[in-house]
Amino acid sequence: MAEISSYTINFGPQHPAAHGVLRLVLEMDGETVRRADPHIGLLHRATEKLAESKPYNQSIGYMDRLDYVSMMCNEHAYVLAIEKLLGVTPPIRAQYIRVMFDEITRILNHLMWLGAHGLDVGAMTVFLYAFKERENLMDCYEAVSGARMHATYYRPGGVYRDLPARMPQYQASHARSQKDLDRLNSDRQGSLLDFIDAFCERFPQSIDEFEALLTDNRIWKQRLVDVAVVSPERAIQMGFAGPMLRGSGVEWDLRKMQPYEVYDRMDFDVPVGRNGDCYDRYLVRIEEMRQSVRIIKQCVDWLRHNDGPVTIDDHKIVPPSREEMKDDMESLIHHFKLFTEGYCPPEGEAYAAVEAPKGEFGAYIVSDGANKPYRLKLRPPGYTHLAAMDEMVSGHMLADVVTVMGTMDIVFGEIDR
Amino acid sequence: MSANPEQPDDQVTITIDGAEYQASKGATIIEVADANGVDIPRFCYHPKLTAPANCRMCLVDIEMNGKAAPKPMPACITAIGDGMVVRTESERAVSAQRNVMEFLLINHPLDCPICDQGGECELQDLALGYGRGISRFTERKRVVDDEDLGPLVETEMTRCIHCTRCVRFLDEIAGTSELGALHRGEHTEIGTFVGRGIHSELSGNVIDLCPVGALTNKPYRYTARAWEMLSHPTVGPHDAIGSNISLHQVRGTVKRVVPRNNEAVNETWIADRDRYSYQGIYAEDRLQEPIARDGDKWQAMDWQEALESVAGRLKEVAAQDPSQIAAWVSPSATLEEQYLLNRLMRGLGSDNVDVRLRQADTRDGDSPSPGLGMPIAATEDVDAALLVGSHTRHDQPLLNHRLRKAGLNGAHIMALDTRRHDWNYELSEELVAHPDQLARELALIAAAMAAYVGRGVVEGLHAYTGGAEPGDNHKRVAQRLVDAGSALVMSGDAVELHQGGADLRALTALIAELAGAHHGQLGTGANAFGGWIAGAVPYRGADGSPARGMSVAETIADPRRCYVVVNLEPEHDCFDGAAARRALEAAETVVVFSPYVTEAMREYADVILPIGAFGETAGTFVNAEGRWQTFAGVGRPIGEARPAWRVFRVLGNLLSLDRFEYNAPDEIHAELQGLWERQGNPSNGGWQGRPAEPWLGHGSLVRAGNTAIYGTDPLVRRGEALQRTPHAGAARPTLSPATAQQLGVNDGDWISLDQGGPSVRLQASVDDALADSTVWLPAGLEGTAGLGPVHGPINIQRT
Amino acid sequence: MQALREFFNSFLLVELLKGMKLTGRHLFSGRFTIEYPEEKAPQSPRFRGLHALRRYPNGEERCIACKLCEAVCPALAITIESEEREDGTRRTTRYDIDLFKCIYCGFCEESCPVDSIVETRIYEYHFENRGEQIINKEQLLAIGDLYEPQLARDRAMDAPYR
Repeated sequence: MAEISSYTINFGPQHPAAHGVLRLVLEMDGETVRRADPHIGLLHRATEKLAESKPYNQSIGYMDRLDYVSMMCNEHAYVLAIEKLLGVTPPIRAQYIRVMFDEITRILNHLMWLGAHGLDVGAMTVFLYAFKERENLMDCYEAVSGARMHATYYRPGGVYRDLPARMPQYQASHARSQKDLDRLNSDRQGSLLDFIDAFCERFPQSIDEFEALLTDNRIWKQRLVDVAVVSPERAIQMGFAGPMLRGSGVEWDLRKMQPYEVYDRMDFDVPVGRNGDCYDRYLVRIEEMRQSVRIIKQCVDWLRHNDGPVTIDDHKIVPPSREEMKDDMESLIHHFKLFTEGYCPPEGEAYAAVEAPKGEFGAYIVSDGANKPYRLKLRPPGYTHLAAMDEMVSGHMLADVVTVMGTMDIVFGEIDR
Repeated sequence: MSANPEQPDDQVTITIDGAEYQASKGATIIEVADANGVDIPRFCYHPKLTAPANCRMCLVDIEMNGKAAPKPMPACITAIGDGMVVRTESERAVSAQRNVMEFLLINHPLDCPICDQGGECELQDLALGYGRGISRFTERKRVVDDEDLGPLVETEMTRCIHCTRCVRFLDEIAGTSELGALHRGEHTEIGTFVGRGIHSELSGNVIDLCPVGALTNKPYRYTARAWEMLSHPTVGPHDAIGSNISLHQVRGTVKRVVPRNNEAVNETWIADRDRYSYQGIYAEDRLQEPIARDGDKWQAMDWQEALESVAGRLKEVAAQDPSQIAAWVSPSATLEEQYLLNRLMRGLGSDNVDVRLRQADTRDGDSPSPGLGMPIAATEDVDAALLVGSHTRHDQPLLNHRLRKAGLNGAHIMALDTRRHDWNYELSEELVAHPDQLARELALIAAAMAAYVGRGVVEGLHAYTGGAEPGDNHKRVAQRLVDAGSALVMSGDAVELHQGGADLRALTALIAELAGAHHGQLGTGANAFGGWIAGAVPYRGADGSPARGMSVAETIADPRRCYVVVNLEPEHDCFDGAAARRALEAAETVVVFSPYVTEAMREYADVILPIGAFGETAGTFVNAEGRWQTFAGVGRPIGEARPAWRVFRVLGNLLSLDRFEYNAPDEIHAELQGLWERQGNPSNGGWQGRPAEPWLGHGSLVRAGNTAIYGTDPLVRRGEALQRTPHAGAARPTLSPATAQQLGVNDGDWISLDQGGPSVRLQASVDDALADSTVWLPAGLEGTAGLGPVHGPINIQRT
Repeated sequence: MQALREFFNSFLLVELLKGMKLTGRHLFSGRFTIEYPEEKAPQSPRFRGLHALRRYPNGEERCIACKLCEAVCPALAITIESEEREDGTRRTTRYDIDLFKCIYCGFCEESCPVDSIVETRIYEYHFENRGEQIINKEQLLAIGDLYEPQLARDRAMDAPYR
């Protein structure tokens, strides 16, 4: 009988734990991974190239579809880069709204990650609980933008619309008693801000529940502790960002190091790990959710007490209100031109990055003075993380590949673009 | 105090927004700014028109000799001075521009969403670039009644911002002064003075000039948006100027035509004929698939079958007697089509191929070659010109524009024809003679000229003058032409159609030679010169070799058994429509290549093959100055129609002809260009080539005419909007008052006319512009299709 | 001491029992799933679903064929052809939306100067044959007619924000 020392298997692209369409070619030595070779590009949609063919604003909707679990954060980076080119700063209220929704997005993303990671490793229940909470946040997305995922809500110069004063409610139906309906609608009596506030009150207990299910769980720990340890030096060398970097003990967070919008006014902590293994990265993300709740609460508080415009008052960039557009000539012309041609930023280049849930998400735009980008380059955090796949799984068991993939929080929308 | 001692005297240095520029004295600030890419907003200023400075949008801050001007000044009329400092972006200039913009917008209606100009509107662009973001105006807006300017230009006068570009265009370029500004202040309105519309042959240009949506393209109205159209550069298909135009299409359908700038050809203007004829592409009688006669019925068939049948028929005739095949090809067909048809015919053994459909007299063979004999742009600098039988304003509208410029600058522009025409400027001399007498008039001018330049008696001239002495008018014409530094002697459409055209051409050549002037000969068609280059004339091949074929006139006079007809309707497009049709009807085999199918074609043709119309075919036109202009097809031809060059190419293969393996029009183009370049400079005819015997004339009541401006070819005759203008429609036979009296005809009477064939009934008009014993009746109009030669005897009966 | 506690915690499956207790509690708590289709999730008046073309109260179609929606559509999902109607007004002769191309960004509704094209609350639709995903002007107007009261209410509710 011939002795086979090493053989190659395909992991994905149709594997449920491949988080989308990752094809991983694994060189195995028995159960041990010798080499992992990620093949990408199966979800390539040429977002960057497409953006070169349309006016700036028309690409906002495509940013949602990059990392499709942290939609508004992607929009945020793109919009910030445009604002940098244009040299405009959105009104303070818009900045608070953006920060609030960035953090809502972070929780959305981490819940998705937590559920999927748990499911990959074998914990089903936490997936259901996480998704239950996600629904509430999706409702916030819908209330503010009209879409539960692909919001197209941030605009250069602010956000599209102010927060609604009423939160949509469940409608009576024969499938549910009035009492039950009242319970479901109890958080929905006031405005969107009331709803978010109530969520913030409730959510830390939910995090406690997740932790009760996982943090001390022996199976969870057996699968995560000491798996894929990355030293701080290596993490920096490999271009890690976000929880992947902080899990290795490097204290780096764009919200603190290069504060954008009103993050410098926010009181929050940046959690860091100690060992750089999957378990530390898990703990970092759990703590980040708690910190996000803190930030959201501060935003809600400010937004309740400070009214004001949510877009800049420059109709060369932001279309006038509908009432103005129907009423006066200048506004109609600006409306018409903005929706057909858009605006022309001056020649130049700009890079803007946000601390997206997965790490640094950046947009680099080169403008030649036309109404569409000459070049758009996106810096997705997942791409650099996936590049470390080989180093992180080599020497581990096949089952650990799933854990590593989970800890990386990979989403192919942003990696393939 | 020149800043730079080495600066030439006529140059000054000015500073605009911090950068120094050199410019010639007398230039305005806006000219210097435009030349150097500095943006100054403007509405009323246009480089081709005078600057009235009435929109006030171009206000800039000026400083001269260190002293600032007390107010911002309009850049469009302020002449530059040495050391002048101009600031277009100073606070005062910007605020002046913003305030002007605000005033312009207070009365502008909220029409952008329904306005055709939306998206390509200068008012929108400048409001975005220089205006306020939001309006402060809350009063009522003004409303202005619309004017009906005719079928070509749509108006929405409430949108007008009174830049007066249209008014100045019609005054200065079109020369018709059909619009003016009435009232003043807020009540200013642009309107026609007597509510009669704009009838200039260049009227469409006001649409391009109008910075807002007040004047828009009527046939194009509401059908497309500027941003969704793709622009395809091409060349005007109707006259020998070869105006540079762009076809704008959406999803393969041409929506409109706009000019392209080319200072050497059409400047920034185009004639209405080039702008609106695209409607003919979508005429209802477009042929969708090949059809062939099957007894009394017409049978549709596929291309293979149709071409095999055509090849079979042609081979059969050629096998017996190739000279029994004659090909008539439109002078507006592309160079490639003409060349391939020429090669097909020569391949079959026949030299009977001709583009000169309207040339009634071919005694002078193939000389002189068509063409202007000088660059088009240079015609605006001539000092004198003699236009023989040419209503240039309608035949070649943009050539007329150049000559008009020369005329307004003091050049002597003179004309000789059977009537006075409706010129848009004052001619120095307009000679009118009976068609039989045209040669005599020319001979008298030549005689006067020979005497003036001391050439004595020119041999052969006596046969034309009959010994008469030149009058004062002939002497004036002769002297002006001789004295001119640069002169042009040109024969036009009416000479082509003239039964004694060869004599007239020889005489114009003689006059040109004596005067040392440029000699031109321009007929109808966008590519008549190209037809000559392509060898689509019976007397010479494409390589310049002499041949002995029969012209269109000869194949009409001596009918053939088989005809190949390419992209024309003989009843309109031949000099003698009735005779041409008779010849076709008598023939055994008639193969028609045409984008359209008419009732007449169904009567005389045996096979009709659908070819691409203008815009659907790639090709080359050679214009009057010999400029080769190549263009691409815009979209697929409709239905089963195919570009004609492809059809000829396959037909060549089916006839087993050599070297018919072309894959693209540029291969044909390159081959022909090679042949042409090897020929050197072919002779341009002359007095020596004159006919042996002078043509004697009809000596009776004679029809004379030219080709109506919107009747020159099948495409323009289907231009629906153009056909509704006063220049088209039913023909009005015109007589001189004396002749009318003699015949007992009054203005407006219905008369019946015949030229030996069937008679037509038309409404007469009486005009003292005409020579006596002449009936002016152009070709290409409704009612003239059944008549005989455009120049020939005619009978009139009162009805 | 610490090591002893850890040993007992581990030996007695304490953390697993804590987890079981949590799931047990959830077993008896109120239900948060909904019984679709009897019951539906709450919907925002800003919801961006299937498109519709609206009419004025007098029955005249609002759309004036300005083509702003066509121009602004990032996915090039809208195709419009227009011409002058007999009464001289500017109207569409064709208004197609390809729902496979559409990314439901809402720009068409934002750009419309006459509130004609709107995105409705409808999200329950399907196609059975290729080609059906392209909905035309008649279908869009019919959707608008059917849901006009709701559409008008939603626009009115959101008017202060736009």
